[in-house]
Amino acid sequence: MIISNTIAVFKKELQGYFTSPLAYIITAVFWLISGLFFVELLLGQEGIIKQVNAGEQLGLTGSIDVAYIFLNSFFAVMGSLSLFILPILSMGLYSEERKRGTLELLATSPISNWVVALGKLLGVVAFFIVMILPWLFYEAIVFSAASPPISPAVPLLAHLGLILLAAAILSLGMFVSSLTESSIFAAIITFALVLLLWIVDLIAQNVGGIIGEVLKHISLLENYNNLVQGIFDTSNLVVFASYIFLGLFLTAQSVETTRFTS
Amino acid sequence: MIEVEHLSKTYGSTTAIEDIYFSVEKGEIIGFLGPNGAGKTTTMRILAGYLPATAGTAKIAGYDVHKQSMQVRRRVGYLPENPPLYPEMTVESFLHFVAKIKGVRKGDRVAKVDSAIQRCQLVERRTDIIRKLSKGYRQRVGIAQAIVHEPPVIILDEPTVGLDPRQIIEVRNLIKSLAGEHTIILSTHILPEVSMTCDRVTIVNRGKVVATNTPSLLMEQLKGSSGYEVEIEGDRENIIDLLQKISGVSTVEIDRTKCNLQPNRTLLQINCTTETEPGKEIAATIVERGLGLLEMRRTSLSLEDVFLQLTTEESTVDEENN
Repeated sequence: MIISNTIAVFKKELQGYFTSPLAYIITAVFWLISGLFFVELLLGQEGIIKQVNAGEQLGLTGSIDVAYIFLNSFFAVMGSLSLFILPILSMGLYSEERKRGTLELLATSPISNWVVALGKLLGVVAFFIVMILPWLFYEAIVFSAASPPISPAVPLLAHLGLILLAAAILSLGMFVSSLTESSIFAAIITFALVLLLWIVDLIAQNVGGIIGEVLKHISLLENYNNLVQGIFDTSNLVVFASYIFLGLFLTAQSVETTRFTS
Repeated sequence: MIEVEHLSKTYGSTTAIEDIYFSVEKGEIIGFLGPNGAGKTTTMRILAGYLPATAGTAKIAGYDVHKQSMQVRRRVGYLPENPPLYPEMTVESFLHFVAKIKGVRKGDRVAKVDSAIQRCQLVERRTDIIRKLSKGYRQRVGIAQAIVHEPPVIILDEPTVGLDPRQIIEVRNLIKSLAGEHTIILSTHILPEVSMTCDRVTIVNRGKVVATNTPSLLMEQLKGSSGYEVEIEGDRENIIDLLQKISGVSTVEIDRTKCNLQPNRTLLQINCTTETEPGKEIAATIVERGLGLLEMRRTSLSLEDVFLQLTTEESTVDEENN
C-alpha cells in the first residue's frame, strides 16, 4: 500500500516534468553548459589535453591520469552548476499543489504526508538523473581512451555523490516549496539556502581547529568532493542521508501544519 | 451516516463555526445552506478530514474524522470549492491517479474510472488535457474525482458556483443521480439549489445552525414569522423593557445603522415569535408612554434575513435561466 502509493506519486511527479516546458528549457540549458565545460576542460587553453601534451614535451609521459583528472574537474564544476539548477527543479513541488488546491486532494486521500513527500522527492531526483544521462556519453569518450583504464568504481562513486548531493538539496528545496504558494519565492529561498551551504563549505575550508572539522563534516560540498575523488566512506553517505531525511521530515510536518492553519 | 455534534473551529480569535450539529441518514442528500462566510467551507473541510476541529466531534460511517482520519478518507469523496485538478494531465490519467491514491485495487481501477467518466458524461473528453477543458467540464472532472473510488459519503463544497445556467442544471442532475447509493452533503448559498436537489436542508449563518428541516417545511415555517421596525421620538428609557414584556415579542434592539435620524429619535427593531402579531400592543405601549410614534412597519425575522440574502443571490441565476 505504502509502496504503491509512493510509486503513484512518483510517476505523477515525473510525468509532470516531462509535460512542463520549463523543465525542457532547464534541461536544454543544462546540457548546453555541461557540453561547453566538457569541451573546455578537455580541449581548452588550460585543458587537460594541453597539459598532457606539455608534459609529454618535457618527457613526463604517463604521469598524468587523464581520465581521473577529467572526472574530478568535470564533477567539481558540474556539482556547482547543479546547485543553480536544483532550486528551479524543486520550487514547484508543493507550492504548485498549494496554488492549485490539489494539496487538499492529497491531504484528504488515504495517503500519509511522508508517502507524498517521498514520492515527490523520488520523482524530482529521477528527473535530475535523466538530466545527467548525456554525461555517460562524454565519459565513454574519455574513458575509452584512458590508459591505464580507470576503475569503474571511481565514476560510479562520482555519480552516486552527485545524485546524493542533488537529493539532499532537492529535499530541502521541497521543504521550502511546502511553505509558500509562490514557486518563484520558493526558488529564491532555496537558492539562498544553497548559498548558505556553500558559505559553510568555504568557512570549513578556511577555518582550522574543531569548528573547521565539524563544518567539514556537515558540509554537503565537502562530502560530495570526497565521493568524487573516489574516496568511499560510509560517513559521507550518512551525512547525505541525514539531509534527505531532514528535508522529508520538515516537509511532512509543514504540510500537516498547513492543514491546521489554512 | 454522518453525525456532527457541537463542532467548533476558531482561527486565533475569530470563530469560523460554533456548535454546529446535524446528522445525515444513509442515501440522503443534505443541503448545507448559508450566505458567504457562514462557515460552510470550514465545516466541509473538517468533515473531509482536511482541517481539525477546535471542539466537538464529527463522525462518518462511525469513524471520527480526526482520530480515525485514514478510515474516513477511504470512505469520503470530496470536491473542494476549487476543483483540485492537475491541468497538465488528461481526464483519464488524472482519474487513474486519484483512484490509485484513494486505494482502489489495481484490478478494479479501469472499471471504476470508466464508470466515473460515464456517470459524469466525460466520455468524449477522456483523453483531453484538463487545462483545455471549459469550467463546466472541469467541475465534472472534479465530481468524477470525488466519486471514482465509489465512496459511501460524498462532500461537495459549492458544486455549482461559477458555472453558467446550463452547466448548473447539468451538475444538479448529476448530483441527483448519485443519491441513493451515496450519502451526499452539499454546501451552497443558493436557495433553489437545495429545494431542487436536497431531501433536507441545514441553514447556517455566522457559523451557527439556524434551522434544519425539509425545504418545503422550512418555507412554511417562515411564512408565519414577522417583526416590526419602529421609529419613536422622545425619551427611550424604560420603553425597551416595557416592549419586551408584551407577549409575542422576543427581542427588542436599537438599530444604530441609520445615522440620519434626528437626535431625539430612535429606531427600534422588534422581533416577534412565530405566528403572533403584537403590533397593536406595541403601538399602544409607545403612545401610552407619551412618545411619538413616527413610523411602524413589518419586517422579516433574522431567519428570513438569511433567506433574503440567499434569494437575492439566486435571483440573478434565475434571470439568466430565463
